[in-house]
Amino acid sequence: MGASQLALLVLLFPAAGAILLAGRGWRLPRIVTQIVGPGVVWASFVCVVALLWGHLNDRCAAPNDICYLSSNYDFTYWTWIQSGTFQVPFNLLVDNLAVFMCLVITGVGGLIVTYSVGYMAHEDGPSYARFFTYMDIFIFSMLLLVLAGNFIFLIVGWALVGLSSYLLIGFWYQRRSAVAAARKAFVMNVIGDAGMILAAFVLFFTYHQTTYVGIFAIATNWCPSAFCDKAFHSDSFPLELAAFLLLVGAVAKSAQIPLHTWLPDAMEGPTPVSALIHAATMVTAGVYLVGRMAPIYDIAVYAHGAVAIVGAVTALFAATIAIVQTDIKRVLAYSTMSQIGYMFLAVGIGAYSAGFFHLLAHAFFKALLFMAAGNVIHAMHDEQDMRKYGGLFRQLPRTGGAFLIGSLALVGVIPLVGFFSKEQILGAAFSKGDPLALGVWVIGAATALITGFYTGRMWWISFAGKPSPERPVEHPHEAPPVMLVPVLILAALSVVGGFIQTRALGIGPSVVSDFLASAVGPLRWEENAGAVVVGLITMILSTLLFFAAYRFYVERTWKTWSANAPWAQRLLERKYYFDEIYDAAVVRPMDAIANWGARDIEGPVLDGAVVGTGNAAVAAARSLSLTQSGYFRNYVLVFVGGAVVAAVLLLLRTA
Amino acid sequence: MTLGGSHLDASWFLILSAILFTLGAVGVLVRRNPLVILICIELMLNAVNLTLVTFSRQLGNLEGQLFTLMSITVAAAEAVVGLAILVDIFHTRDVEDVDELSEMKG
Amino acid sequence: MAIAVFIIAALMAIAGAVGVISFREPIRSVLSLVVVMIALGILFLLLSAQFVFVAQIIVYAGAVMVLFLFVIALFGPAREFARANLRFQSWLSAVFVFALLVLIWMMLAGVQYRQPDKTDLSTFGTVQSIAVGLFTTYLYPFELTSLLLLVAAIGAIYLSRKKVDDK
Repeated sequence: MGASQLALLVLLFPAAGAILLAGRGWRLPRIVTQIVGPGVVWASFVCVVALLWGHLNDRCAAPNDICYLSSNYDFTYWTWIQSGTFQVPFNLLVDNLAVFMCLVITGVGGLIVTYSVGYMAHEDGPSYARFFTYMDIFIFSMLLLVLAGNFIFLIVGWALVGLSSYLLIGFWYQRRSAVAAARKAFVMNVIGDAGMILAAFVLFFTYHQTTYVGIFAIATNWCPSAFCDKAFHSDSFPLELAAFLLLVGAVAKSAQIPLHTWLPDAMEGPTPVSALIHAATMVTAGVYLVGRMAPIYDIAVYAHGAVAIVGAVTALFAATIAIVQTDIKRVLAYSTMSQIGYMFLAVGIGAYSAGFFHLLAHAFFKALLFMAAGNVIHAMHDEQDMRKYGGLFRQLPRTGGAFLIGSLALVGVIPLVGFFSKEQILGAAFSKGDPLALGVWVIGAATALITGFYTGRMWWISFAGKPSPERPVEHPHEAPPVMLVPVLILAALSVVGGFIQTRALGIGPSVVSDFLASAVGPLRWEENAGAVVVGLITMILSTLLFFAAYRFYVERTWKTWSANAPWAQRLLERKYYFDEIYDAAVVRPMDAIANWGARDIEGPVLDGAVVGTGNAAVAAARSLSLTQSGYFRNYVLVFVGGAVVAAVLLLLRTA
Repeated sequence: MTLGGSHLDASWFLILSAILFTLGAVGVLVRRNPLVILICIELMLNAVNLTLVTFSRQLGNLEGQLFTLMSITVAAAEAVVGLAILVDIFHTRDVEDVDELSEMKG
Repeated sequence: MAIAVFIIAALMAIAGAVGVISFREPIRSVLSLVVVMIALGILFLLLSAQFVFVAQIIVYAGAVMVLFLFVIALFGPAREFARANLRFQSWLSAVFVFALLVLIWMMLAGVQYRQPDKTDLSTFGTVQSIAVGLFTTYLYPFELTSLLLLVAAIGAIYLSRKKVDDK
């Protein structure tokens, strides 16, 4: 079974699952949904592992070459559009980066879909099947996004992912807040879609190609190496433009500033949705995009710098907001925003592999955190306010322990996976040395400290201390196995995952970087030992802040800084007033324009034309019907009159 | 044309036919009894028949006369159907003035 | 002598036509029409149309007019009463009819009539020649006409039946 067939199977399994569940799911017994829903994802996972096995020893011609020009990985299945010289094939680019992303999507996705078999058990038959249909559609769309080999299918996958997100956020559609959140997410995603489409247009206009291989070959003058001289290429301007437009798309999908306001509201969806879409996969699509377009971003240096700046600013910004959140899922949402900022930072300075390693690590521990939070919410009968928890560790030891592991991984404590991935990013930024890299390093380090603080706050308030008097459930019980086992698996992965790439310490294996080197190239600069030291110092400081949070929030021995500066508290609680600014600057004017259109254009002009035509026809008919007097003799008169006229005409003709 | 030596002109027949036709038209326009209107229509048809036969003799072609036979037949059929409709109306109401039958107004 | 016959027949026809449109009683109108038809029959004889003359008398004056007489006798009123006229009807009628007459006269006035084509008058208009024409060249219209009569008969029966009251 060749790679091309495996790649197609990877796509077809979730699609088949979605179609089956959509058509027949609610009519069949529940066990069928429970098996097919997660089952197709695991089947895809098996195919991805098979692909991985085939790719493990892949190297291109020279160690520093990027293999996008190798046709070993570009499989065309059929030509979708062929019109003159414009050709859009259905092709998949199944190189190492694509396989890596598929591994994350199907692996972590499989665990989360399995988890949701238990989490959504309260739903009735049709809703249950509907949930898994949407999840399978999402998995399919995300796989299409990462496997696509040309811009058209990238955009198809991108848009479908946005659609799935809308469907899943608004899953409990009877709730107005959920519907509003889904709409908000979709509208902001569409802004990103517009950017993507414009970028595809710019690239097509410049190169007359739609496939990645075609465009990269021409853009880089057929030079496959990561070290080609690419600065200030003759095509710089269209590539800069395309890169900025792609950045718009990435920012919208990954909830970076300024298109980030939809992510906290998206927590209205069920917790597995938050885990899968808004932590592990969909929001990482932007990072994937920048990594995939690495040849373009290497030339478009201004856009590349913009990526790093956007990432760094978002990381800091989101971390500060997370400090004041009271809903446990919102803390995790802002944390996700912050960590994706780190990934953008990494790919923005050129450390692609570091960014993707953090993507993998983040998928592990963030999905873990969301699912563990889901267990807590489930145990507390859908209560999400952390202030009503307190002292849960004694009653939910396994969930609490897994949550602790996830939190420490988020903070970046050695030897968990979060340490290795985060410190590799910060170390790469420190080592690169140029002003931009050092600037983002400072911001990243500051964010790491704040991350320690808010994560600690989250854990201590929920699991330590005395049970809150406002607790809804006095004796919560642990989750059933189907919900607990995926959590524990991810906890184990968070513990041991770091050991495949210990480059942050300067020594040891670097499996991920080596694997991705054939897709995005190796690191373009040397890492120095100072980076390791600085990384360790950052880690120690963040851990100290983690424990310091105990003093602030549980023991209450130290007054929180926000008590001294209430204006800061308000600023953070209002999320820097972004929602209010958008409402005033965008939503209100649009409403006003729409109302004006409805009142002054649609009513008088359009409806007037339509109704007016009808009225005119009726008036004409009424006036004409006056000739229908009903009197026979009048009609005969008209006959004879007509005969007279005909006779006159005849006479005139012959005369 | 000659008939026993005298000279008859076709135009006289045609003018007579025109007068009869016009008189029939006057009757249709002015009279009120529906039956009388039908009779006047028959008068107009007869005038046309005269024209046809005149031209048939003038041109020496029998087609005019054949057409006249058809015209007589059709006139008979039309009179029959027209009278049947009138009889149907007379079953329900006593119509003296065709102006009463004006429900198709508007 | 033919001219004398023509003049008498013509005057009869015109008198009958005036009678058709003037008499108040419908019965008298019908009878006037019969007079017109007989006059026209005489004129047909003058024009060597023997068969048409016979058909006119037997079918037209004999059958159709009798039908009219029956209907008037059974349903028609005895006389017509003058009622309020339709507006403009009489004036416009006069205008149009007069115009029609003038126009027809004008059309006929300028025609140069030539001598009638030489025809064999012994066979022109006879039953045999009509039959030859009717059953060979004009068979199709003949058959259609008979179909038309059938349809008219069925229609007349259907239309004039007494409706059963459903109440």
